[in-house]
Amino acid sequence: MSRRFYTVEDLHRAGGKDVWVDEDTIVTPQALEAARAAGISIRTQAGNWVEPRPDRGPDAGRAAKHLPHLPEPESDNALSATTVIVTVVGRNRAGVLAEVTNEIARQQANVHDITQKMVESYFHLMFVVELPSGSSFDAFKQALEGMGQEDYVVRAMHEKVFRFMHRI
Amino acid sequence: MSFTHQEILETVRMVELETLDIRTTTLGINLLDCADPDLESTAEKIYTKVMHHARALVETADSVATDYGIPIVNKRIAVTPIAFIAGACGSDDLVPLARALDAAAKEVGVDFIGGFTAHVHKGYSSADRALMDSIPQALDETDHVCSSIGLATTRAGINMDAVHDFASVVKATAERTADRGALGCAKLVCFCNAVEDNPFVAGAHIGVGESETVLNVGVSGPGVVRSALARLEPEADLLAVAETIKRTAFKVTRMGELVGRETAHRLGTTFGIVDISLAPTPAIGDSVADILELIGVDSTGAPGTTAALALLTDAVKKGGAMASSSVGGLSGAFIPVSEDQGMIDAVKRGTLTLEKLEAMTCVCSVGLDMVAVPGDTSVDTLVGIIADEMAIGMVNHKTTAVRIIPVPGKGPLETVEWGGLLGTAIVQEAGKSSCKILSARGGRIPAPLQSYRN
Repeated sequence: MSRRFYTVEDLHRAGGKDVWVDEDTIVTPQALEAARAAGISIRTQAGNWVEPRPDRGPDAGRAAKHLPHLPEPESDNALSATTVIVTVVGRNRAGVLAEVTNEIARQQANVHDITQKMVESYFHLMFVVELPSGSSFDAFKQALEGMGQEDYVVRAMHEKVFRFMHRI
Repeated sequence: MSFTHQEILETVRMVELETLDIRTTTLGINLLDCADPDLESTAEKIYTKVMHHARALVETADSVATDYGIPIVNKRIAVTPIAFIAGACGSDDLVPLARALDAAAKEVGVDFIGGFTAHVHKGYSSADRALMDSIPQALDETDHVCSSIGLATTRAGINMDAVHDFASVVKATAERTADRGALGCAKLVCFCNAVEDNPFVAGAHIGVGESETVLNVGVSGPGVVRSALARLEPEADLLAVAETIKRTAFKVTRMGELVGRETAHRLGTTFGIVDISLAPTPAIGDSVADILELIGVDSTGAPGTTAALALLTDAVKKGGAMASSSVGGLSGAFIPVSEDQGMIDAVKRGTLTLEKLEAMTCVCSVGLDMVAVPGDTSVDTLVGIIADEMAIGMVNHKTTAVRIIPVPGKGPLETVEWGGLLGTAIVQEAGKSSCKILSARGGRIPAPLQSYRN
């Protein structure tokens, strides 16, 4: 069933000091404002009315169940949800690998795999990194991508992006 | 390592250098339960329901973008055609409903909200009529609301009375927003065979067969396709060109699929479709025209352009269809003139005329899009342009649209700046001849025969 709205018009029609609504009724902001101005409390059986969580409709429950289980491109390794791929591209000089691994260690992330390739005087360095559980990918990304600037560029992206793009 | 250097660098390059992004995540919201006998209460319910469902949209999309490192450029909302719900209140002035949509869009931080819409391909309901009459004021007084009108379908034919009304509405909207370069018309589009799960504006709305709420995604990617073709050796034949586009479209669409699944899941809603349209932006290199020129025409609009565009549109669809089981919306290649630097250049060079654009729309995914014409273009000429485009869609069983902007005070080859995604337009010659008698006849062009298809 659709949720009922409770409007200013409903409030006027109800009259009185307190009005009672079901918990899943959606009281409009205008009705809330009008009630506040008139000193009227909007109540449910559980107490003062609070906005219910959105009901996304009859299909949403099924989507919640099925979406995480849609087939995904297979991965070669047992990669977890917190695996990211760090790419470093730049001019070769002593100490770049040490700088980047140092920062990865400072972020308490674990390097699973590392490969490097030289193309003329440029290097391409790639890490498969496991973030510690509960850590923020955003903070990790900002810390890593803030490095270099002058002679090399660091980028961090979620492993899933590569898997979706390059595997069927 | 499970990925090769080449694969990883290709993905990083697409995002960093070739403007690969998710163009839009559009939350569709059914508003049918907002119908109310009172206009003010209808507006109140519309505002409340949009707020209730879309409050978390921007934050959720941003969190997905951050977690995966893929930019999501726009967050938008599409709603049930307002004419469907306005009937109950019996009002002739539906501008308050547009204001409610605009207020909610502002509040939740989306860039556009689509759905100030009516379908009149066969005839008008009273609410359809009220909506059509409210459009000029609604688009003048709101910033984020987009309006669309279904004027024709393959099954019903073309409602020529409505085409005439729409042309008049375009003119009135241009006049009302003359101080902003007729900006109102950039938020107004008409359709033949309107698509009910289109996540792109100005035509975004949610049809009656859709879920209560649904998350649709529109990908981008002209820059990526262009770069892939630029790397192709010059002697590569057209099969190789098609194959390259197909593979690239596959990769781009996979990003849409990933982002769509994840955003829908985090919002707790249904994942609808990925619209795989190549959507250009005014950014250098993010251009469909550039792709056509790389395929091999001297300048977009030159002979061969329609063939090149046919190859491009088809290859995008084939690659996209393999990459997602939920391809929908418009899905093809957009050719919005003002939003594509390559198109703008072609208009300046004089190779891309309105007539050639019309021919190109026979094989692209939409139609005459973001075309500026002189402000003194008559309603009858606009009727002719719109009717021609509707006829192409009707006969070819495809979606076609017209988003045309008669800019007051501007003549051919003058420039109009809208800024942002809407870009810069060069006013194109619309011709002085028209179809006065055809336009005045009114009535309906009957639906075409479905057999004897030559």
